[in-house]
Amino acid sequence: MTVNNTIAHQRLILSGDRERFKELLRKRLIECGWRDQVRMLCRDVVKENDTNNITFDALVSRVTPRARAIVPDTVKKELLQKIKTHLLTQKDQ
Amino acid sequence: MTTIVSELSMHDLNNKFFEIMQNESNAEDAANFIYDSVYEDVALGFLFEFHHGLKTGLTDLVEGEKEEDESCKIVVSPECDVFGFSVLKKTPDSNCSCPNCERPVSATRFAPHLEKCMGMGRNSSRIASRRIASNSREPTSYAGLLSDDEDDADWSGSSMQSERRKRRIRNNNNRKSNKMHNGNRNNNGNHNSDSNDGATYETMSANEKKNLLQQICGVVSEHTKKLCIRSTRCPQHTEEQRRALRNSVLEPSTPESQPLLTADDAGSPPDSSPSSSCSSSSRKRDRHRALKNKSKRKRNLSPSGRD
Repeated sequence: MTVNNTIAHQRLILSGDRERFKELLRKRLIECGWRDQVRMLCRDVVKENDTNNITFDALVSRVTPRARAIVPDTVKKELLQKIKTHLLTQKDQ
Repeated sequence: MTTIVSELSMHDLNNKFFEIMQNESNAEDAANFIYDSVYEDVALGFLFEFHHGLKTGLTDLVEGEKEEDESCKIVVSPECDVFGFSVLKKTPDSNCSCPNCERPVSATRFAPHLEKCMGMGRNSSRIASRRIASNSREPTSYAGLLSDDEDDADWSGSSMQSERRKRRIRNNNNRKSNKMHNGNRNNNGNHNSDSNDGATYETMSANEKKNLLQQICGVVSEHTKKLCIRSTRCPQHTEEQRRALRNSVLEPSTPESQPLLTADDAGSPPDSSPSSSCSSSSRKRDRHRALKNKSKRKRNLSPSGRD
């Protein structure tokens, strides 16, 4: 399974479509306000740390789980749908 | 496996990919995998952005200084205003009791109250002085003194002196009336007082001298050659000075009056001399005698009464 996923991923990267999906996801997350929510999460984490000297790794390890949980389902479903459709349509060519 | 995959040529990759995509579940799995990967990239991108802003201070610049919640908090309480200060009335210890009327006065109104109450300040002092003036016009013990002062306004001397002068004038008027009644002299009182003030005993008759010396000290000053017009107990001159003066002034008239008595009124008792003690009866007699002396002196123009 991992090989299959890697093959599909590799092919998506090579075709340059992965960059398109990434840009689309980024746009959707900004539109739905997810980015601002993540910003607030980050600020809270920094405030908890009480200094601005928090490392990036610490920030990622604290914020990522909560950030992933608040991604809107609509955005996630749209992206999954689009990627799947893209993969399936590739087959036909 | 991965190495093998990586070694695959583009053509092999395409073949493998189409082979996998035959199955739809494989495609769904691949989509999930790709989504997770893309999401990780996007999330990391946001986090990088935030961290960059944090480290370079860009976040603070963009978002501005955080407001202090405590200082700008609006206090919601019935006893306090929005700043948290008490809106209750001032405590009673901020009241002062006025020392004049002993009423409690607010500290902020204390100075104006004192001004009114004690009559200080511009308008209040005017009012207060008017009140005092109206009070003093009521008949009191010293109201007469005040009016006396007012009457004496044209006199340049002090109140004591003018009082004494007044008394003298009164006496002079009495004498004058006597004299006018007798028709011997028609000088007015002012002339008499002037002569008393300025002149010496040489211009006076014996009776005038006697009356004068009963009221004033009468010692002749060494410098001005004038009479001392203070009271008979004036502190400037001693009792001896006064006695010596009276002796020197009044004695010479004794030999004069004595022959007069014997000459004119032989019947009257020759007991009184001008230097003797002055009861009212003797003064009367003296005046009577002096008048006779004067008339006689006028007739004779004798300077015997002079020193």
